[in-house]
Amino acid sequence: MSDALLMLETVSKSYWRGTHELRVLTELSLEMDAGEFTVVWGKRGAGKTTLLKVAAGLEPCDRGRVCFQGLDLAGMSESEHARLMRERIAWVRHSGPRSELRMIDYVALPLLPAYGHRSAYSRAREALARVGITECAQQYWQSLSDGERALVGVARGIARKPSLLLVDDPTANLDRREREELVTLLRELADGGVGVLMTVPEMNEMMSAHQIGSLSGGRLIAPPRQPPPSNVIEFPGTERLV
Amino acid sequence: MSAKYAILGLVIERPGYGYQLARRLEERFGSSAFAPSGVYSALDQLSRDELVRAAGEVGSGPARRAAPRMIYEATDEGVQHFEAWMLGSSPAPPLRDELHMKIALCRPRNVPALIDMIYGQELACMARLRELKLVSEHESAGDGQEWSRLMRILVRDAEIASWKARIEWLQNARELLERLLEDPARVDPRGAPAASERGSPRERAGRLRAL
Repeated sequence: MSDALLMLETVSKSYWRGTHELRVLTELSLEMDAGEFTVVWGKRGAGKTTLLKVAAGLEPCDRGRVCFQGLDLAGMSESEHARLMRERIAWVRHSGPRSELRMIDYVALPLLPAYGHRSAYSRAREALARVGITECAQQYWQSLSDGERALVGVARGIARKPSLLLVDDPTANLDRREREELVTLLRELADGGVGVLMTVPEMNEMMSAHQIGSLSGGRLIAPPRQPPPSNVIEFPGTERLV
Repeated sequence: MSAKYAILGLVIERPGYGYQLARRLEERFGSSAFAPSGVYSALDQLSRDELVRAAGEVGSGPARRAAPRMIYEATDEGVQHFEAWMLGSSPAPPLRDELHMKIALCRPRNVPALIDMIYGQELACMARLRELKLVSEHESAGDGQEWSRLMRILVRDAEIASWKARIEWLQNARELLERLLEDPARVDPRGAPAASERGSPRERAGRLRAL
């Protein structure tokens, strides 16, 4: 059994438009450990969201295998998977509540069934404080800036203290300073032991990651996790590559 | 790019011997910028042109097994020469490289090999970006002098920007070539690759992994 937190092994995924096959992921492999911040860069339509959905088991892959802490997601029952998504894997959302919820309520809401009112609100306050927006606890979604909304999304994700945080393009609509702060926060969360898998449309946001990759044409191009010996790579030619 | 002006600039900042200068050069520009041997040939050339001169020697340690090391300092002419270079215009970087030429001249039968080559280059560029990222982390953890730290960051940012642009171009080129390969109607049949050369997607993925 692998020690990896998350392992995607030669995963392929296609969508069908009538008889036309749209290959989104092709024999993609990725491995990440607890406490590792992995950032995958890709253009619009490169398959970034599909990659995260497959990693979370929300979309089945056509071929290959996805394992979380050594357990094959395909072998899980629906209730086992629901429990996994409730307790171990968190998906950071862009959208906020439609109802008139204060942010403390919004973050605490998914925790209520498992933890009860007191503990859920305590965790929600802790999560808002962790991302540095305690002052937004009593605010409503409509009154928040884009940067604060992104942080509320992260707070909601980490409130359950998951092992893996999946973050799909969290930097959209953010200015440079807000983007940098958000990426620094995610890196700190990873340094604290959470595995963070994030997708971004800009390469700038990759620079704080432990592991980087680019997704294009269905393939993930990622350098080895350990830096290759510098004497076997020659730039910019290809003759002695790898 | 010759290491001549970089070495001259470093010697003006602070005299040093060959190995020291090579280390300082690497700290300032990264390990892939100049070959270590270039430092010694640059020093030879700068000495011949009387832009640097010997300013003494340092010993080889208590064992005295190695030859003493020559310390170099800049001459007045060297300082003037460097200032003139600093104020002069810099040529634009070369726009064309060998891969551009290969793509421009390739025949359809070459396309699968070119795609694999581009994939390899993308991987190498990503690895270089990762290396630069590690340097960035080291940099922010260090407490070096503010001026040199900022200048190093500027030079590194230039390199990062260049690798990023390269990756984007490589991706576009690869995706376009892959689409061409999947659409035989757009490929000149006289130079088209045989079915066995193209291979199935699975075979091609296997080839790519082997790179």
